[in-house]
Amino acid sequence: MILHPFSHDRYTLLKVDGLSVSFETAMGMVQAAQDICFQLQEGETLALVGETGCGKSVVASAIMQLLPGNASVKGRALFRGKDLLQLSERDMARIRGREIAMVFQNPSLALNPIIPIADQIAEPLQIHEGIPSDRSVRIAGDMLRRLGLGARGMGRMYPFQLSGGMNQRVMIATAIMLSPKIIIADEPSKGLDASLAREVMKELARVRDEMGAALILITHDLMLAKDISDRMAVMYCGQIVEMGSCGEIFKESLHPYTGALLNCLPEKGFVPIPGSSPSMIDPPRGCRFHPRCPICEKRCRGCPDMIRLNEREDGSAREVRCWRYSKL
Amino acid sequence: MSLAGKKAIRYILALFLIASLNFAIPRLLPGDPLTNLLGEDVILTEGSAQELRLKMGLDQPWSYQYLEYWRSLMRLDLGYSFHLHRPVSGLISDRMKWTLLLAVPPLITGSILGTILGALAGWRRSCRSQKVQTALFLAIYCTPPYLLSLIVLYLFAFQLGLFPMKGFYSTGSIQDIVHHLFLPALMMTLFTLSRNYMIMRGSVLQEKSSLYAAFARAKGLYDKEILFRHVFRNALLPIITLLALDFGFILSGALFIEIVFSMNGMGSLIYDALLSRDYPVLQGSFLIITIMVVSANLLADLLYSRLDPRVRWQ
Amino acid sequence: MPDRKADSAASGAVAIKGKKECFGCCSRKAPRERPWGGLEAGKAGSIGLSLFLAFLLMAAFSPLLAPFDPWLRFEPYLEPSWNHLLGTNDMGHDILSELIYGSRVSLSVGFGAALMATIIGTAVGLFSGYFKGTLDEILMGATDIFLMIPQIPLIIVLAAYLRPSFWLVAILMGALWWTSTARVVRSKALQIREMGYVRAKRSLGFSHLNIILSDILPNISHVLMPKFMLSIASAMIAEASISFLGLGDATMKSWGMMINFAFSRGGFINGYWWWYLFPGLFITLFVLSVVLIGFVLEENDEANLRLE
Repeated sequence: MILHPFSHDRYTLLKVDGLSVSFETAMGMVQAAQDICFQLQEGETLALVGETGCGKSVVASAIMQLLPGNASVKGRALFRGKDLLQLSERDMARIRGREIAMVFQNPSLALNPIIPIADQIAEPLQIHEGIPSDRSVRIAGDMLRRLGLGARGMGRMYPFQLSGGMNQRVMIATAIMLSPKIIIADEPSKGLDASLAREVMKELARVRDEMGAALILITHDLMLAKDISDRMAVMYCGQIVEMGSCGEIFKESLHPYTGALLNCLPEKGFVPIPGSSPSMIDPPRGCRFHPRCPICEKRCRGCPDMIRLNEREDGSAREVRCWRYSKL
Repeated sequence: MSLAGKKAIRYILALFLIASLNFAIPRLLPGDPLTNLLGEDVILTEGSAQELRLKMGLDQPWSYQYLEYWRSLMRLDLGYSFHLHRPVSGLISDRMKWTLLLAVPPLITGSILGTILGALAGWRRSCRSQKVQTALFLAIYCTPPYLLSLIVLYLFAFQLGLFPMKGFYSTGSIQDIVHHLFLPALMMTLFTLSRNYMIMRGSVLQEKSSLYAAFARAKGLYDKEILFRHVFRNALLPIITLLALDFGFILSGALFIEIVFSMNGMGSLIYDALLSRDYPVLQGSFLIITIMVVSANLLADLLYSRLDPRVRWQ
Repeated sequence: MPDRKADSAASGAVAIKGKKECFGCCSRKAPRERPWGGLEAGKAGSIGLSLFLAFLLMAAFSPLLAPFDPWLRFEPYLEPSWNHLLGTNDMGHDILSELIYGSRVSLSVGFGAALMATIIGTAVGLFSGYFKGTLDEILMGATDIFLMIPQIPLIIVLAAYLRPSFWLVAILMGALWWTSTARVVRSKALQIREMGYVRAKRSLGFSHLNIILSDILPNISHVLMPKFMLSIASAMIAEASISFLGLGDATMKSWGMMINFAFSRGGFINGYWWWYLFPGLFITLFVLSVVLIGFVLEENDEANLRLE
């Protein structure tokens, strides 16, 4: 697991600025994500962590314009000078799978049950590069071998004949076929048992290193995130509450929620966070965590901005959304 | 027992049951079995009636009659129509080819067109043209086929004189036959099309929100690429059996269309037999039609198990 | 009940809808909208429902709505005129009145057949799905066989032998249409049977009947309704077809019989379109209304299942 230290000569691949997503549902307006800002450097791995339902998957889907029709998206996602959120469907289709690829949760459902896996892996080649099917399927076979699925006749197998871990690898293979600049992995280890999860993560990291791609890892598993990520953004109730390098965060977390989250880990004693997750339709006023925060103050009833601390020369910094670090 | 074995038993049982029904109905239903077997239109003296009874074995116990019935079925002897003075099997084989000529090409065309159009309709967001199209096919779907045929016949043949009113002579030229067949074939196509359209549309609507379709989109597939490379096949599979079951209904529709357009196929045969209560013809026709429908179902079943890998690799 | 979280809102409908360029047209969709027949479910459903109610009212209040008694004889072969809005047939009966009263017959046959089919289908499906095992095999085998038998030809044969009567047609159709309902009920029953609370009840020793009545039946009602509706549609078309062939009840003037009279008594040949156009129109409209309601119910059912 190579951790890439920040360096001057890498450039910013993706800059997400003020991204907000809300859904109109029968029960009201769900504010799934609010004011999300982060940057992704070339070759870097950023983990979006948080509990289930905090909006991390929504952020990823928003960047790829894969949200359902009842979503309204605000903000910008700049990739190579273009705002991804403003692109037409046709232009976006050219970027998906080729420059930015996504790996879904639930691999067994995300693959078409009646098409052999080699054909599904070969599809990006056929669509984006126009490579004829026999050649692309052969290339797909090579890719399968790279990911450890090189047994004879494996390519003609169907997803239902393979295990969850194998299907996950098929999805990863599909994602990396065209060597995308950014891979977004949405809960790649969900539903897999611990050892299998580690295997898949190892695979992901290996592939990322071989290709030099940037990786956005979305997960609720902090330890898994720490293993292969450079930086981490902690999300709560649709907002990023803390961001920084993994080492920094684990050594000393700044936001009370991050601290509480770390305490939930088995190593720290499975300490639960009091209270229950807030509603996204009617979130708490002010700081969204304040009803459950052990060090809540009066000013927490107002919305805190994202505060940058410890600015380094390369432009990176620790960021935290908490009044306690406000200079006011 | 394997799945294929179970299915085979069901088909055999179905055929068996229907053949037995055919045997039982004239003998169990009210009325003199002789009349039930011969038809109401037949006038006999008491002497010849007795003779016939003996000849047909009506005085024998049912077990004997049942065996005899099967024996004659094996000989492809479906009885004799006293009304038309011909053996039933001959009548049916004559008429069946016209029915097939009318029914099969439109069935194939209608199914293919209906499936594709239905898939597109299920896929696209509702534009004006889409709304009109779906509303149109919905209206056709809800109309009894013979009714639409009546109206069309009235408009195009009666009023406008574009097409002939009555059926054709089997010795006509190709042009003549096509001229006669055009309207009924059109009706048949529309009928099949609308049914396939509605069914496929529903299936695509359901499949299009599946996760694999979303993943296909995430791979960079655009619009109809997702439809025809993924959703179409997945949507088609579950409805193959549905479409096969529909075949019976469509065949019945074909018969009605024939009656309206006075084609000399099975439809008119059955209609005339109905009017004159010529039971042997009715029974024979029913048997043949049922065998056709059951065979179609069997074919569809086999097709489905070949196409769906999940079934193949059970 | 947990509030809607971001993920479930998003994953509940990971549909193919881009923000800007929707496939086809660009139209901002309201959350309630489920396009059906190009219309929103609300619109399609309300058209269906209003048509349906209109027909029900027509059947219920025929004496009030019809201008004349349908059996009264006037001058025959009259074209539509102010006196007789739809003209008269060869027997001098006012066609409009026939049409209105005919709704009673057609609707009764449709409902009767559908009701019977639904009851039989539900019973078969429940027993099959709940008790499983050999009973299931036998019942499903029977269902498959019944499904394969071409229904209208069988009805034709049977009706030819028996003197056609109103009830006969309804019963025959009901006895043949239960199959699709049975299939659907069975799969639902299988599903519910395995749910936690039902298994708990079974292990606690509640009687089968109790479980069926109190747990399974209420949960299949939303599946039954669309099927019931669609059965009515099938029954109507079948009745119209049977009557067209002259196998209907001549003493009851259903819409199908009206068309039969038109065809067999020279109405068609002579171009008296008003004899058969209106009954045909009514059949189509009624079937349309029922199909719309049935489809909308089905779609809502799908949506509910997906959002769960």
